[in-house]
Amino acid sequence: MSAISIEADAFAPATAADLRVARRIMWTYISTGLAIFFLMMLLGIAMRAEQAGWVTFDPGWFYALLSLHGVGMITAMAIAGLGTLWYLVRRETPLDPRIAYLAYGFFVAGALCVIIAVFPGKFGSLWTMLYPLPFVGTYWPSWATGVWLVGNALVMTGFMVWCAQILGALIARFGGILGMLGIGYVFNIRGYEEAHREPPSPQMFAAAITAIDGIIGSTFGLAAGIGMLVHWIDPSVAIDPLWAKNLIYQFGHTFANLTMYMAVAGVYVGLPLCTKREYHTSKPLAIAWWGTLLFVIIAYFHHLYMDFAQAETVQFIGEIASYLAAIPVVVVTVFSGAMLVHRSGMRWSLGSMFLYAGMIGWVVGGTAAVLDATIPINLDLHNTLWVPGHFHTYLLQGVLLFTMGWVFVTLEQRSATITSLAMRWLIGGTIFGGAAMFLLSFYIAGANGVPRRYAVEPAPGPELATVATIGALILLAGIIIAAIEALRLARLPKAQEAAA
Amino acid sequence: MSGLLVLELFLAIASAAVIVMLAVALYGSNRPAPQSEVSAKGYAIRRYWFWTILIVAAIGFAISIPRFPYGSAQTIGKHYTIVAQQYSFAAPPTIPADRPVVFDVTSRDVNHGFAIYDPDGKLVAQVQAMPDYINHLPFTFHTRGHYTVRCLEYCGIAHAAMQGGFDVR
Ligand code: HEM
Ligand SMILES: [Cu+2]
Repeated sequence: MSAISIEADAFAPATAADLRVARRIMWTYISTGLAIFFLMMLLGIAMRAEQAGWVTFDPGWFYALLSLHGVGMITAMAIAGLGTLWYLVRRETPLDPRIAYLAYGFFVAGALCVIIAVFPGKFGSLWTMLYPLPFVGTYWPSWATGVWLVGNALVMTGFMVWCAQILGALIARFGGILGMLGIGYVFNIRGYEEAHREPPSPQMFAAAITAIDGIIGSTFGLAAGIGMLVHWIDPSVAIDPLWAKNLIYQFGHTFANLTMYMAVAGVYVGLPLCTKREYHTSKPLAIAWWGTLLFVIIAYFHHLYMDFAQAETVQFIGEIASYLAAIPVVVVTVFSGAMLVHRSGMRWSLGSMFLYAGMIGWVVGGTAAVLDATIPINLDLHNTLWVPGHFHTYLLQGVLLFTMGWVFVTLEQRSATITSLAMRWLIGGTIFGGAAMFLLSFYIAGANGVPRRYAVEPAPGPELATVATIGALILLAGIIIAAIEALRLARLPKAQEAAA
Repeated sequence: MSGLLVLELFLAIASAAVIVMLAVALYGSNRPAPQSEVSAKGYAIRRYWFWTILIVAAIGFAISIPRFPYGSAQTIGKHYTIVAQQYSFAAPPTIPADRPVVFDVTSRDVNHGFAIYDPDGKLVAQVQAMPDYINHLPFTFHTRGHYTVRCLEYCGIAHAAMQGGFDVR
């Protein structure tokens, strides 16, 4: 594994004890993230069943659940991804574990506040809480708004702590920002080769981009959150609604999008383990990541395409940025990932299957996103169910699969065992089949103009919601079986030559 | 571009992507080859692949620009004021057909959406309704009949029931 080697280095390599601590941190983060994911999935199914007319509850509760589901899911995926990245960075450079636990503490405290705002607070302004909504014509008590805002601020603070630690460590490790981002490498490949120096590994790009854009995004999010908290305390302080929208979507889009760039590290490290091949940093990979670094933070303008008051130049930049943030990294990573698997003789374990399927989900969800990021198309799809169609593909069949793939690859390597063929078919069939039903219903409904975020949908919404609910239940079954299988693998004795 | 057309385009690209990805993974999988051999071929293909994607994206981008929907206070056409509030729209009862019109859309309280559905229930255009701002949506109606307006930005407990409408004559 020369791509992750740390031998020729000024830093003391991580000892076995260091790595044990790092692995414990990773598993703490991952299991917390996946547990939150599981609970949020149950809320998601309840909402889809309500839209299908299987159950009825008051729309106020529908929106309260939607608020919790939205913020909970994104945070869950982020926590799992940040834990993985922390461990991967720790393999290459020293990190203080106490800071990882500090960030974790912020996440847990934030999650508790958000849960209290919803149960019993019934807060229902959604995780995008567009100003002045959380204060005007509300059906929940004012304290719930305050607790919700504080909870979100805590999550952002935890994220900032994580980003600051990783950024500091990477800058030290690679001798500055230019080294960390592979700029020195791209402009001096010959020099690197002559000096037998390796550029930062692909997963270090994922960590660096997450840390930089994470700090920028959290700053915007905290600005919006603190502004609203001030307004909550003193309502005479007014905020400009268009500015608030920009700040909130800057944070929301960046945070949600970064979960993918965190999880993809699982592909960079996991697929080479499955294929017994090497995933190297190349010039296109580095340049593609620069595109992501620059454009993820402004791609959010596509959330404001239908705000015609926003300057038209900004809309134009939004369309370019959306293309350039999404396309290069997907093209490079997925192409190289597919090349890694091609004729490698890789066995289709659950781990490799999830990682590979995740790349397909990333491409498919990304395609739906790029289409919708095209302004004349957005005119017909903005805020329809197309949007949850796209991001559920991206998150459920991309980010989640990368996370599950990483978990299974690690467990399979550790125990030197893979799941039986019948079990793999059962898990793959239920997860992919169920997800396909769940996701296609969103796309078809959206293309027919059915709005998103409707507790009660116009036709053909409810019929499609029925199909979606059945799909989601099949998916739920698959996830439960996969979880049981993961626990079984985790309890097997450790094999002699354990990697990861 | 109509939603259903986009759906067809999307399903075509998505199925192609799935098929290609599966083919790459499965084709020749019983005849393993060293990584260097696969990479040599892969890098050659990758160059064309990059350029193809880049050119397709650039063409899509170029086609989209003249179709931007943005209007302003000066946009030519008869202007109609639309005021949204929790949970209704104040809109004129009739709009002329076959003539350019501009909707000047705003909100009295929180963010709302102003989305126009044609008599067949197809979403034909939309814009946000924001407090403190006026958004100008130009449009020309060619089909006569009753159009429904729905709110397309979450605005509170009765968001899903927030509707209006007008006749195009
Ligand atoms: C089986 C799994 C899931 C189910 C059944 C589910 C269900 C739903 C439903 C019914 C909605 C509301 C759609 C609407 O009418 O607007 C929704 C929204 C959402 N979901 Fe999921 N979901 C699942 C997985 C996920 C995952 C894995 C993530 C993220 C990692 C996620 C993130 C979100 C977000 C951000 C929203 C938007 C919230 C908002 O509109 O403010 N969901 N989901
Ligand atoms: Cu509304």
